[in-house]
Amino acid sequence: MESLFSEEELKQEICRVMSALYKRGLVSALGGNVSARIPNSEEFWITPSGVFKGELNPDDLVKLDLECNVVDGLLRPSIEAPVHAAIYKARPDVNAIVHAHNPFTLGLALAGLPIEPITVEEVMVLRKVEVVPFAFPGTDKLAKLVAETAAKGYRALILQNHGIIAMGSNLVEAEAVAETLEEVAIAQFVCYALGKKPPLIPEREVELYRKLYRF
Amino acid sequence: MSGKLLGYCGRVLYIDLSKEKTWIRELSEEEELMFIGGTGLAAKIVCEEVDPSVDPFSSENTLVFMTGPLTGTYVPCTGRLAVAAKSPLTLGWGEAHSSGFWGIELKKAGFDGIVIKGSSKDPVYIYVKDSEIEIRDASKIWGRDTRETDKLVKQDVGDSKIKVACIGPAGEKLVRYACITVEPEPEGPRVAGRTGMGAVMGSKNLKAIAVKGSGSISMADPNRLRHLIRRLLPLIMSFPSTQIQAAYGTAGEVEVFYEYGDMPMRNFSLGAWEGIEKLTGENLAKTIVARHKACYNCPIGCWRVVEIDGLRVRGPEYEAVASLGSTLLIDDPYVIARANELCNRYGIDVISAGVTIAWAIECYEKGIITKEDTGGLELKWGDGDLLLKLIEMIGEREGFGKLLGEGSRLASKMLGRGSEKYAMHVKGLEVPMHDPRAFKGMGLQYATSNRGACHLQGFVLRIEQGERMHDLKIYERVDRFETKGKGRIVAIMQDWHEVLDSMIICKFLAIPPAHVAAMYSMVTGRKTLLPELLKAGSRIFNLKRIFNIACGYSSADDTLPERFLREPLKEGGAAGQVVELEPMLKEYYDYRKWDEKGVPRKELLEELGIAELAERLIR
Repeated sequence: MESLFSEEELKQEICRVMSALYKRGLVSALGGNVSARIPNSEEFWITPSGVFKGELNPDDLVKLDLECNVVDGLLRPSIEAPVHAAIYKARPDVNAIVHAHNPFTLGLALAGLPIEPITVEEVMVLRKVEVVPFAFPGTDKLAKLVAETAAKGYRALILQNHGIIAMGSNLVEAEAVAETLEEVAIAQFVCYALGKKPPLIPEREVELYRKLYRF
Repeated sequence: MSGKLLGYCGRVLYIDLSKEKTWIRELSEEEELMFIGGTGLAAKIVCEEVDPSVDPFSSENTLVFMTGPLTGTYVPCTGRLAVAAKSPLTLGWGEAHSSGFWGIELKKAGFDGIVIKGSSKDPVYIYVKDSEIEIRDASKIWGRDTRETDKLVKQDVGDSKIKVACIGPAGEKLVRYACITVEPEPEGPRVAGRTGMGAVMGSKNLKAIAVKGSGSISMADPNRLRHLIRRLLPLIMSFPSTQIQAAYGTAGEVEVFYEYGDMPMRNFSLGAWEGIEKLTGENLAKTIVARHKACYNCPIGCWRVVEIDGLRVRGPEYEAVASLGSTLLIDDPYVIARANELCNRYGIDVISAGVTIAWAIECYEKGIITKEDTGGLELKWGDGDLLLKLIEMIGEREGFGKLLGEGSRLASKMLGRGSEKYAMHVKGLEVPMHDPRAFKGMGLQYATSNRGACHLQGFVLRIEQGERMHDLKIYERVDRFETKGKGRIVAIMQDWHEVLDSMIICKFLAIPPAHVAAMYSMVTGRKTLLPELLKAGSRIFNLKRIFNIACGYSSADDTLPERFLREPLKEGGAAGQVVELEPMLKEYYDYRKWDEKGVPRKELLEELGIAELAERLIR
């Protein structure tokens, strides 16, 4: 089957997503990374490490195989490449991954407050959000912990004291997961800041969505 | 195959001073890729052209000046130069490095390097102006210090903008740790300091090499390179050590290293000293520093200009602050700055000078050296006037300075009386200003570095301070006192530093290794990934090892001064520690695929493509 995106378009899309995340304040000048699996292959394109994230172009990206060997590209791949590779291995349904540093999401997790079903988007887009315990960035330990949790079918993970992982079948979906997570976290934060506990979507409604979307 | 990679000139200038002949050697693309440039290509040339058994001061020794493919490109901190020959100090592999514009000028003149063969009957200097090469009379310049030499050569040529690399009186008089000073004027110099390359130059009656080029330096994809560097700089500048160096120069790390118990005091026998407060980067900034300067295309600017006796000169680096300061228990920044300037004028390596003087003072204190040996001088710690006097005597090779000019290994051997125990060297090269009892990997690095005790060829202490190098597969955070795992880390870091010294990039700029590969690719126009560069690094390191073996070195020389192995310091950040070298060495030899005698195995040399050259050297 012919792919919807050529490889070059896929690379442009990765740069667009990175730029959008930067503009929204979900990644900093040097933090965060985005990757996309090349359809029907064992390889993926990922953003480089250490290069200013607000201004990436397709030439900066690096193509890796699932063992993180460099297949194409010149620059240094993101140090979180092992996390991306481990997810792609564990989740054939995932074709795009965003690792961002969503400040409100992270803040709630630091306070021990879970992401709750406060909007329909939370239920439909995020579904259930799990927290992965802390491990040093760039380590095999972190890759292993993330892959084990991702294998359970989540679309969004919070990396304790670090950031978030958003997964999707394509880049827009992964981007939407990352953005929705932050939107929900901000809404919850505002509610808590005003001294109120946010009312949740009733459990039976959530259950309906679960059945409808089979998650 | 002729050199087609961009970034290189593809040509090396040969000058035979005995025959007064010059010729050009074309570099092949194959040798550029195998040995990169800088120290790597210099190693290939020395190993191919120097009989390891020659006297380093004979005309058969060859002195190589080499730039790298990144020299003078958009890549920051690439105004660098490597110099190599058989060393009169180590009697084995010798090399030294300097920053400056000299190498850039040489590339603009159309040469990647200059190889000096033979020796002149009378003092000469060389003038390279693009393709015009002249060997000129230097009899009127001979005997002058490096600053005067720079001025006189410029006057003689009639061009104040030429770049000059020269020796001072110490190089002429064959002080075994004489250095080559690069661009002493104004407010300079930069120095190719270690292993006595200035003495080799002096033995050839070569006072200076002046260069002027009008060409440009080629780059395959300059726009992409510039765009990448602009976006990488925030990361590079965010490293703590880089920020300290930008704020206070390398001396900014005095406090940090002192806290670790790393900074030597009283010839590495003391772990705490109140005088250190006067030597911090902050205090130097308050007392002697006049202004900051930066080398070519450098965003850090660690160079400090100080004002002494009404003259603005290069200020002491961390190594000078320690070797001419704390090692001798001298805490006066003005004295250290004067001593540093005196070394620069005579053309003497400050590390070897300070450590050799420290050896003499300790021997005097213990009654091994007496006033009979010193010509009536009383040697004592903390004596600034004595330091200045001794540097002069070394530079002039007068009186007691004659012995000190031999370096600590040979001087202690000549003196005998058990003085060898206090000579702090490895393979004849004086130990630099990082005590390996504070960072044990540094102990292994010193023991195995090809030019002897060298802190720069690996700089493993950064890893032992907690840095990780993902690109080099050093993921773990290691304990500085731990020995397990250090064999692997030291070997990897040494190989990587061979790459940096071949490119050539200043080590203070922490560009992640995979990005260095990317920059090399953008300059040369040939896609080169990190594993290929690391293999080249290993090739270069192993070739130098073979040269040392051919010079008579063996595993018995992969050791440290007894003090580091058996005498723990009583106080300070490394109190109670000694270096447990043996287990680290075993792990290191195994990782490097060397046999138990420390000889690279044949299969390894074949894999690296240097088996034939190695066989010729050892035969």
